[in-house]
Amino acid sequence: MKIEIKVNNKRYCLEIEHNLTLLDLLRDELGLTGTKRGCEIGECGACTVIMNGDAVNSCLVLAPQADGSEIFTVEGLEENGELSILQKAFIEHEAVHCGFCTPGMLMSAKALLDKNPHPTEEEIKIAISGNLCRCTGYKQIIEAIKSVSNQ
Amino acid sequence: MQKKEHNVVGQYTGRLDAFGKVTGRALYAADRCFPGMLYGAVLRSPYPHARILQISTNAATRKKGVIAALTASDIPGARVFGVVVKNQSVMAEDKVRFIGDGVAIVAALTEREAREAVGLIRVEYKLLPAVFDVEEAMKPDAPRIHQGDNVFIHHKVRRGSIEKGFQEAEVILKRSYRTQRIEHSYLEPEAALALPLPGDGIKIECCAQNAYSTRRSVSEVLGIPMNRVEIEQATMGGSFGGKDEVMTSLCCRAALLALKTGRPVKMVNTREESFLESYKRHPYILYYKIGAKKNGRLTAIEARIIADAGAYASMSPFVTWRSAVQAAGPYECLNVKTDAFAVYTNQAYTGAMRGFGSPQVNFAIESLMDELAQELNLDPLELRLKNCFTEGSVTATGQKLNPGVSLKEVLQKAAGEMKWEMKRALYEGEKRNQDYIKRGIGLACSYRGVSLGAEGIDAAATVVSVQSDGSVIMWSGISDMGQGAQTAQAIIASEVLGISPDRITFFPVNTSRISDSGPTVASRGTIMGGSAAKKGAETVRDSMLKEASIILDESIDNLIMYNNWIFSSKNRTKKTSFSALAGECFNRGVKLFGFGWHKSPSTTWDEKTGQGQAYFTFVYGCNVAEVEVDTETGQVKVIRIAAAHDVGKAINRAGVEGQIYGGLVMGMGYGLMEEFSIQEGEPQCYNFDEYLIPTACDIPDMKAIIVENPDPLGPFGAKSIGEPATELAAPAILNAICHATGKRIRELPADLEKVLLDHKLKRISKRGSEEK
Amino acid sequence: MLPEIKYYKANTVEETVHILAQNKHAIRILAGGTDLLPELRSEKQNRKVIILDISSIKLLNKIEDEGHFIRIGALVKHSQMVESILLGRHAGFLTQASSLVGSAQIRNRGTLGGNICNAAPCADTLPPLVALDAELTLESSSGNRTELLSGFIRGAYKTNRANDEFLTWIRFKKLPEGCRSNFIKLGRREALSIARLQVAACGMIDSNNKICYIRIVPGSTTPNVFRFTEVEEYLLGNEPSERLFSKAGDMVARKMVEITGVRWSTEYKKPVIAALVRRSLQAIFNLKPGVAVK
Ligand SMILES: Cc1cc2nc3c(=O)[nH]c(=O)nc-3n(C[C@H](O)[C@H](O)[C@H](O)COP(=O)(O)OP(=O)(O)OC[C@H]3O[C@@H](n4cnc5c(N)ncnc54)[C@H](O)[C@@H]3O)c2cc1C
Ligand code: FES
Ligand code: FES
Repeated sequence: MKIEIKVNNKRYCLEIEHNLTLLDLLRDELGLTGTKRGCEIGECGACTVIMNGDAVNSCLVLAPQADGSEIFTVEGLEENGELSILQKAFIEHEAVHCGFCTPGMLMSAKALLDKNPHPTEEEIKIAISGNLCRCTGYKQIIEAIKSVSNQ
Repeated sequence: MQKKEHNVVGQYTGRLDAFGKVTGRALYAADRCFPGMLYGAVLRSPYPHARILQISTNAATRKKGVIAALTASDIPGARVFGVVVKNQSVMAEDKVRFIGDGVAIVAALTEREAREAVGLIRVEYKLLPAVFDVEEAMKPDAPRIHQGDNVFIHHKVRRGSIEKGFQEAEVILKRSYRTQRIEHSYLEPEAALALPLPGDGIKIECCAQNAYSTRRSVSEVLGIPMNRVEIEQATMGGSFGGKDEVMTSLCCRAALLALKTGRPVKMVNTREESFLESYKRHPYILYYKIGAKKNGRLTAIEARIIADAGAYASMSPFVTWRSAVQAAGPYECLNVKTDAFAVYTNQAYTGAMRGFGSPQVNFAIESLMDELAQELNLDPLELRLKNCFTEGSVTATGQKLNPGVSLKEVLQKAAGEMKWEMKRALYEGEKRNQDYIKRGIGLACSYRGVSLGAEGIDAAATVVSVQSDGSVIMWSGISDMGQGAQTAQAIIASEVLGISPDRITFFPVNTSRISDSGPTVASRGTIMGGSAAKKGAETVRDSMLKEASIILDESIDNLIMYNNWIFSSKNRTKKTSFSALAGECFNRGVKLFGFGWHKSPSTTWDEKTGQGQAYFTFVYGCNVAEVEVDTETGQVKVIRIAAAHDVGKAINRAGVEGQIYGGLVMGMGYGLMEEFSIQEGEPQCYNFDEYLIPTACDIPDMKAIIVENPDPLGPFGAKSIGEPATELAAPAILNAICHATGKRIRELPADLEKVLLDHKLKRISKRGSEEK
Repeated sequence: MLPEIKYYKANTVEETVHILAQNKHAIRILAGGTDLLPELRSEKQNRKVIILDISSIKLLNKIEDEGHFIRIGALVKHSQMVESILLGRHAGFLTQASSLVGSAQIRNRGTLGGNICNAAPCADTLPPLVALDAELTLESSSGNRTELLSGFIRGAYKTNRANDEFLTWIRFKKLPEGCRSNFIKLGRREALSIARLQVAACGMIDSNNKICYIRIVPGSTTPNVFRFTEVEEYLLGNEPSERLFSKAGDMVARKMVEITGVRWSTEYKKPVIAALVRRSLQAIFNLKPGVAVK
């Protein structure tokens, strides 16, 4: 079927199979491999993208459902070719280890900060609790997000 | 201005690989593609133990899109591999040994076609009696899983006379403990891309943790020399010891399909496949007996340890060896006897996982020390301080510890941070309250042999290559799985060259580009790779300084490399920038290339006496945990945890802290919620809905205490942190639970049921729900 | 990987019932997909699945104040429920339940209708909805019908939804003025956690300090979700006290075992549900020790 979708401010018109997820669409059709595939059942959050303003698990969105929607992925975070403050904060706070959870974490964090620029630590934890990270123990990630909210 | 000891080491913050990772540009193996690429899929055994009578791939081969379907009989070279014991099949030949054992592989134009074709392969099995219980498997009449006995490893440690030790004892405790099977849960599932090279060579881009051992196996399986197998590591999404054999078999399979079809082949495991086929951390059964004087001095420690190795040997021989060596804990005791066994069973095999045989024995000995303290009416901290290693102590294997034994220091620092004495008393007092929430505080400590020890040859290589514009390229045989090995090496090279690490680009491990540096395991990345990096950088530094001395007309001894400049300490106007010097060196044909090779001091081991210099150096650590236990539901909340670790020298402070936090949370998962349960050979966890690891909402307040006693054997004194960070949280938490409730849990994990009921509830469940 | 899919999309209730009527047997309704997609993924790959996506029906994406009643569209997401001031004021425990579903991402997609129609015994919104005596509207080409939620659920993952109908509205009476409510979820971790046990309860006292209104619905205890009316009756007319609530907890526990028989988990669940019921009541009636939300 044909769908129209805006990803990172670019409009795409695509002919797709019905049984793709939004994650398949981003990675395999659009080549946006920054969004990761970790579990495909909504548990790990590695595939998190922002869809119409909300953080969602792209593995749980059927691609046809994304018709007409606006998506942001990790590839869309840079502003005018520069890292966003959130990305910089992740680097500065050692919030990135293996990095596999990072794109999803960033998107969950961005969705939070867009709605709530000054979240409490508790709110940050809740916002990223759908993003598993096996490397960092979360602490430095939480600190990175907090530092942005303080700016 | 006070002069800092180091300019980059311990100062620099950042990571070389972070930019690619925060922008989504870093390419992990599954993110890569080659033109004309095929997709591979694997057929796996549905039975825990069965003879393969016949395999028919006809229907699969005929299916649209399928290019090749292969079985063990299509393997040109060796059909089995293994680092220690060569008995693991790439694809099962005569029989399958666990549910998930690979049987056949398919390559097709699309992933869907490949996966569907796998379902068309017909295998005729004859079921064999299977054995799942490790102690059953030890019995003489148990079904045999390989040729020879199921008990394939027995390590001994013998010190003094165990009989005499128990005779001297005034108190003797006998206890048994159990630990569970753990899934590494790296966020990135396994992936490999094999690319046929002109001639009969093969290149594989993948997330293998140990590229060199994988290369050896691929070369043997394909029957081609090692120089025709090029393994390049993609960005790795975590490993924790887990991407060794499972990646080797995946790489072998992808390579077989690529060579057979002459096309690139991509194979990516789903999470379910990863959970099913990948190896785990060993479940242990540990029988301990300890003897002590009334004053708390230990007189004897005896341990009998049984490790469930599952279907294949994997790293069990080394894992259990470390367990045997460290089983008696960091305590002075003249009479020690430990026996560690590894036993085959018909379930997921077990191998290397962060900790490598220590989390299990630490749980046992550190629980036991608390039990002993209670028996003797001593404070657990006091009992440990009374017995723990100090300068000059001799270990259970008869090894005199080299200077820098900081166990007391880490114990006191962690306990002090947590106000141990005050809280111990406070929570004791609270026990009489009616409140259903009880609080408790507990600790655990350890010593840990750094690097491989007597397990194997221990050497590593790193190259430092300065370009004519002053930028630097490095590459190494040590992998970066996300732990920051490259950054640490770059910091070390920067310190030597007086430059900022941002000038350095690090290439991924490629087996054809640099010498075999052994596996990146055993927390050896920094001490081994870092030492190699230091030597490589020193080679370049020396030749550059020699040239600078000519250019600046100053003796080498007076030259300082600092902050991207080279200048004379006597006359600051005599100076040149690093870049300018590099350009000048290049023009004059000076070598700007340093190959660093580091071999660790040798170790010794006598299998018969169970004595020897097991490791060339050790690290020391202590965790103190504070918990709240809901005594009506069994829920445990870890409130706060402090971890003191002597890392020798922190090369990258934030990196060390990150390793500690990550290790603590992983250790907490081990203590409270993680369990890869298998029933009758059938895994009960196929994805993250059933295998629970801690989320951001579960973490306690964490305090990392970095203790630095530089070790002359490490680069700038650095030792290691990766594994020590994860090996103590579980016993500290369980000791805290016991302090809160008065009840001792001797089996991991301390889940809701165990905390409430004191015993395990067997669960038979439907997928995705808690009830059947 | 998902099986082969034939995808239909309906933008209105009318379109939905029309498509349902034509594909009576095979069609699967897709709302947020947080239950359906994992389910499809684990199914045999070679069977084609027909899907009807109802997620764009705008009409069913709102929470309405109907005076004494509140009406929630089946497509309202958990995150909308959490943000709703109306719900927070008049059915606090339902908001609480939605706030504890999965993760932020799951709450941003998962719908109330999906939670109900999936009928998992551990579904978080079921206990509070049952406590509210929620009524469902099901629509089909032959019209609509209403049914009590407690009758709609027919056991674990079973409902009496006919193949050609779908859930449009969930409606319930606002809690009486002065009534307090509470939802407790016990899980194995703090987020992304399937409930091990739940309790939804609400109640109030009269001017004589006697309990005059009370509803208790434990969750993940029995295949069906229902009010434990015997226990409610026992409590009515009594003064709140710790002893009373402990007794109520024990009654719930005993009743649970009567219904399910002794299972592998009973040894654990029995004492724990008793404690949670007691705590829930304590929280509602402001008794010490403290509130135990979660
Ligand atoms: C990671 C994860 C965590 C979760 N955690 C929780 C949790 O903590 N608590 C909890 O309760 N649930 C949890 N869930 C389950 C799920 O998110 C909820 O049940 C959610 O409310 C389902 O809504 P949905 O819109 O996504 O349903 P869908 O997946 O779209 O549908 C679910 C089922 O209901 C049917 N259906 C949906 N809408 C209608 C309708 N209007 N009429 C008729 N049939 C319909 C579908 O056909 C399907 O069978 C979790 C799920 C995931 C993946
Ligand atoms: S891949 Fe989507 S949540 Fe894990
Ligand atoms: S950094 Fe590796 S999973 Fe988060």
